Amino acid sequence: MVEFAFYVAGTVALFSTVMVVVNTHPVHALLYMVLSLLSVAMVFFTLGAPFAGALEVVVYAGAIMVLFVFVVMMLNLGAKTVAQERSWLTASGWVGPLVLSAILLVQLLLVLEPLQTTAPIGTTVIDAKQVGIALFGPYLLAVELASTLLLAGLVAAYHLGRQDD
Amino acid sequence: MTSVQLWALLPLLIATASIVATMLAIAVYRHHRFCASVTVGGMNLALIAVVYDLITGDNLAVPVTGLMTVDAAARFGMVLILVTTLGVLTLCHAYFEGYKRNREEIYLLIGLGTLGALTLACATHTATLLVGIELLSLPMVAGVAYSMDERRAIEGGIKYLILSAAASAALFFGVALIYAHIGSLDLSAMSQALSAASLDQPLVLAGAAMMIAGLGFKLSLVPFHQWTPDVYESAPTPITAYLATVSKLGVFVVVLRLFHYGSSPISPLILTALVGLAVASMLVGSLLALRQNNLKRLLAYSSIAHFGYLTIVLAVPGDESLRAAGVYLATYLVTSLGVFGVMALVSSPMGERDAEHIDDYRGLFWRRPYLTSILTAMLLSLAGIPLTAGFIGKFAVISAGVGAAQWLLVGSLIVSSAISIYYYLRIVSALFSAVAAGSERVSEPMGWAQSFGGLMLVVAMIVMLWLGVYPQPLYLLSGQLAQH
Repeated sequence: MVEFAFYVAGTVALFSTVMVVVNTHPVHALLYMVLSLLSVAMVFFTLGAPFAGALEVVVYAGAIMVLFVFVVMMLNLGAKTVAQERSWLTASGWVGPLVLSAILLVQLLLVLEPLQTTAPIGTTVIDAKQVGIALFGPYLLAVELASTLLLAGLVAAYHLGRQDD
Repeated sequence: MTSVQLWALLPLLIATASIVATMLAIAVYRHHRFCASVTVGGMNLALIAVVYDLITGDNLAVPVTGLMTVDAAARFGMVLILVTTLGVLTLCHAYFEGYKRNREEIYLLIGLGTLGALTLACATHTATLLVGIELLSLPMVAGVAYSMDERRAIEGGIKYLILSAAASAALFFGVALIYAHIGSLDLSAMSQALSAASLDQPLVLAGAAMMIAGLGFKLSLVPFHQWTPDVYESAPTPITAYLATVSKLGVFVVVLRLFHYGSSPISPLILTALVGLAVASMLVGSLLALRQNNLKRLLAYSSIAHFGYLTIVLAVPGDESLRAAGVYLATYLVTSLGVFGVMALVSSPMGERDAEHIDDYRGLFWRRPYLTSILTAMLLSLAGIPLTAGFIGKFAVISAGVGAAQWLLVGSLIVSSAISIYYYLRIVSALFSAVAAGSERVSEPMGWAQSFGGLMLVVAMIVMLWLGVYPQPLYLLSGQLAQH
């Protein structure tokens, strides 16, 4: 059962990622990208890494949603925009992602169902506590270095994103 | 963590502290020279910490949490990284004095990149390898695009960002594939898997191919070299120097750990791939450099050829070739630093555009005799003329190649060197060509900052000639690389 879920989620991930690349409409491509991230999260769930799956949803899918909000915010609102948004909401744009995410949702519900045999494919389940212990035990230096990597990103973004005064 | 481990990590801790200190200095008051000296001071302290460990003979391998090991090879790499970084920092100070906008961030970026290189030098785990490589490339994206008024800089930055991200992705994918086969993320385990790779292990082979592609990009080996001339051309000259030296050095130390430190000789399949990369890099690099009129592009192709020469040591097992790698790296670093240093000083303070076309250098001797003499010596060293450091480096690599009977590699090196003499001498002849009457012998004034960079160049030239005449100490020091 879980293996079946793994392959379905993997197929959805592949299909939606291809759609991200070939879709000419940026907003529709972003929809598929959210879907691709969600299906990868589902893959993590089936592999016995629920924490990584949850992080994938929160960080990546969440961050992409923020990107959406930014896109909408940067548009000038007006009659023209309304017409534009209406044209984006044609069925061809949202039916595909909707069907695929419905598949993922059904899968998730099935896998979470306690009556099923839901042993993950991997031999062990890695929960949040183990991730935390690993991060602040043997991988402490990597965490510290990752923080300087974030600092590097911050400095680079500050310098490159600064407006002329 | 014990005090021994903390003491071994001291250079990294000092480098991190100097980054934070520079950031605070910028936050309080933007003073160019002060911010520069904070970073330079921090890097000097880190260098002293490493050198202290090296000369007190306290040269044990200290494993730190399984992610890093500070051993003799790591200390040797750290010394080279810190010395080269200090050289680049003095160039930055002279160069960015003329930049109209925020000048101080460049020191933060260079400090962060150097921290990444130091991490790579100590890395014994793929987690540190990945973080280190990203920490080395990400600040340099901003470094390449630093002068954003120019369209060219932005273009170079985007190229470097996207291509280096793609290369990192390939590298990480390769690591994941090999991990799927061996179940360990240790570099030594990876290295063993690489040296035992055979045709019936598709995961390891695919992983090795992707890792070689990713690392080959960072070292700009042919056929992963296309980004190099464009990015070198669009970056400010001190950043070009940094990309050509520290960036590649940090990655190469890890490459040695991955492809050379295995107890058994390298797998024939991977050996074939490395030989192919080396031969292609030497020949393509030299041939493409022939037609360049832009000095930065020419040096980019020349650095491709030079890393082709260096790849020879990967094809030769044993400690002797590690020593050759150490000698070659040291000579390459001091020479590259010298060439890019002169270019940076000629272009300083930063103006509309860097002096990079060969016409900008025509008759330079009559305007800037001292700088031109240094540039000439450094170019001869790049070409590998005897009595210069470049000759010693090439000699070390050739003797390693001959010792292992790698005739294809040695032959390519000789052909490539012969071609390279032409394009280096072409620059030298431009430097001394006659100029129109009236513009002879005008030594341009040099400010305090410039003379500091000039001092660094004089030191670099003395070191270069000294290494060329009396290389014995360098050979002894390079033995450190073999003590892993």
